[in-house]
Amino acid sequence: MSDRIIAEINEIKEKIDITHLVCPMTFVKAKATIEELELGEILEIRLNDGEPVQNVPRSLKEDGQKVLKLKDNLDGTYTLYVRKDSE
Amino acid sequence: MALTDDQLQRYSRHIILKEIGVKGQKRLLNSSVLIIGAGGLGAPVGLYLAAAGIGKIGIADADDVDLSNLQRQVIHSTADIGKAKVSSAKESMLAINPEIEVDTYHDFVSASNILDMIRKYDFIIDGTDNFPAKFLINDACVLAEKPFSHAGIIRFKGQLMTYAPGKSPCYRCVFKTPPPPDAVPTCKQAGVIGAMGGVIGSLQAMEAVKYLTGIGDLLTGYLLTYDALKMEFRKIKLPFDKDCAVCGEHPAILSPIDYEQAVCAI
Amino acid sequence: MKLTVSGKTNDYSEKLTVKELIVLENIETPEYVSVSVNDEFVKSGDFETHLLRDGDYVEFLYFMGGGC
Repeated sequence: MSDRIIAEINEIKEKIDITHLVCPMTFVKAKATIEELELGEILEIRLNDGEPVQNVPRSLKEDGQKVLKLKDNLDGTYTLYVRKDSE
Repeated sequence: MALTDDQLQRYSRHIILKEIGVKGQKRLLNSSVLIIGAGGLGAPVGLYLAAAGIGKIGIADADDVDLSNLQRQVIHSTADIGKAKVSSAKESMLAINPEIEVDTYHDFVSASNILDMIRKYDFIIDGTDNFPAKFLINDACVLAEKPFSHAGIIRFKGQLMTYAPGKSPCYRCVFKTPPPPDAVPTCKQAGVIGAMGGVIGSLQAMEAVKYLTGIGDLLTGYLLTYDALKMEFRKIKLPFDKDCAVCGEHPAILSPIDYEQAVCAI
Repeated sequence: MKLTVSGKTNDYSEKLTVKELIVLENIETPEYVSVSVNDEFVKSGDFETHLLRDGDYVEFLYFMGGGC
């Protein structure tokens, strides 16, 4: 991971936890939160292993957002960093 | 204002759509539609627009619910017989979605009330069952520069078109003047298959949602016709009529007109 | 000559007017039908004189009043 991305991730605008949600509300919550951000701002999302980690990053990418990093928390959850690249 | 978690859930299937998203859903929540006629067409339009979260829905109809309505007017129930259609429709819409606002007009539209009525709404649905009302709605919407969806259904056929002010031909470009009373059959005399209102009314609701969210291409400049028995949809191009009496180069109609009602339609 | 009428292309005799086509096609309530030829409306007063030409496409637009 480049220094630039690390620097960017240090400037997280908003954090959400979607581990209590199931499909499709996982993506809906992430999408709704990112729509409230300005272009270039970063959202940190805590999500579960399995279906959420397979689908949420992919759906956000399809929506035109930039997935910066996916970190395995080794407790059955992941932390996803997404930059708003698209309105 | 951000949507609540309940709203995110209620409208999740809209929000997931790239073309709509939270932004489009908020537009729907902040928009208003007037449905004229709470019958075969108005029923599905009202249900779908309420479910879609259109913030304010107006519904206009002078009639009461009758047993013969229930074969197709799915917004009314057997228990509603005898009630004003607008009250019954309002109850059904609020039962689906209590967070919207519903205005009722228990009245016929006429040259004297239509402009005040349509002024308060972003989009108008013509769900009426008679030509005087259809011409009245067209002329009023052209004069007030309001977009609207026109539709008609009879037997196994239906058709619709969308008018966008200044951008597309109007109903009167196609049909110059109402036919004489009782010259052309209406569904009261000729019958109509129940699901026809569902097909065509749902398309009207779709046009309203597309217009309000600004997505896709509207059915402007075209008449879409549906023949259920042949299972055939046709999209017929509609030219402008530069001599149109209301939207043409030298309009003769400068205010809405009340035409004579067919005896059987009253 | 070939005409495309309501989306279907067929052979027709020469020198056919809109009025004659309306009769030929058994159009319902012919007094109230609107007709477009090649995406231009033909005024109802011109139905009797408007001659169709090979390759024309003709649409009939009908009043549909129901909604009830």
